[in-house]
Amino acid sequence: MNPDAPAVRERPRTADLLSYGGGRRSANGWRPARVFDASGRMNTGDPGVEDRNLAARAARGEASAFSRLIHKHSDLVYRVSLRMLGANDASDASQEAWVRAWRNIGSFRGDSAFSTWMYRITMNTCLNTRRKESRRKEQEVPEEFTQLPEPSGTGSSPEASALDGERREEIFEALRNVRPEHRAAVFLRHMEGLKYQEIAEILDIPAGTAKGWVHRGQAELLVLLSEEEGEDR
Amino acid sequence: MRGLSEEQRWTVLEKIGAYATGDLEGEEAREAERLILESEDHQRLAESYARLLAALSMLGQESPAAPEAVVSYAVRRAYVAAFLRQAEQFTRGLVEDYLGALALYLNLRPARRIGP
Repeated sequence: MNPDAPAVRERPRTADLLSYGGGRRSANGWRPARVFDASGRMNTGDPGVEDRNLAARAARGEASAFSRLIHKHSDLVYRVSLRMLGANDASDASQEAWVRAWRNIGSFRGDSAFSTWMYRITMNTCLNTRRKESRRKEQEVPEEFTQLPEPSGTGSSPEASALDGERREEIFEALRNVRPEHRAAVFLRHMEGLKYQEIAEILDIPAGTAKGWVHRGQAELLVLLSEEEGEDR
Repeated sequence: MRGLSEEQRWTVLEKIGAYATGDLEGEEAREAERLILESEDHQRLAESYARLLAALSMLGQESPAAPEAVVSYAVRRAYVAAFLRQAEQFTRGLVEDYLGALALYLNLRPARRIGP
């Protein structure tokens, strides 16, 4: 095991997080919401309400409230940054996302879950980082794609092949070469398990476009992976 | 997929992907099924998609924890920004009060009457 690799733990599906507003932990390390929040106020049991209260207090300048939001959602922000940008830039992007969140916390109205709002800020931060980078180095998906080779593996289950460390790295590497907007859509759909409507809200695009980006992104990913396999042969 | 233009290849690729994702319904789904059944290449594509989507889903189950340095930096920044905001408000209030008192002292502004 790579000692530099970030610690990994089980978590609930993001769709659950979104519906509850984020940060609800259960027996596998995710705590249920407490009855009273840090300031002693009654908590209705819905973490979405708790997040909105914390955000409102943070907007009034209470750093302790914002600190609680950071602790609740830091894994989400880091995970998005890591998948979008890779390990080298993930920490910087996470920090930048939190700085932006603090600056704009007054604009959080509570219409959507706080986690959705953080997804949007983090995605924008990551996409801006990539745009700056791509101005320096234009990176495009190859125009040509050859015949797809036989899928790798010996007919074992998809789960088994997914656990293969090398294959895992190949997928992340290929994902980093997919066009950023398409990568964001594929990541949110297939790795975070979000619905198209939620993806559309985060990326600020129509739901139909979100679906189109997912389809194009997964096609790009498949082509890139098949090219890698082709090169390995 | 021999004999198809580049654009047609992408269209086929995306259509089979959309089918593998379960996003097609009705006639579109049947058309994708026909497409898959008519060629071994397309069947291989569908298999590759199934594997890829399963792998992505598995990878999505993992949650890398944010490094402590990232969390503590963000918290520190928030506290410093909050302190500066309060210090700015305090200083502004102090300066305003001082200028008000000075204006009053120099008889530049009449004193406000308190009460009826």
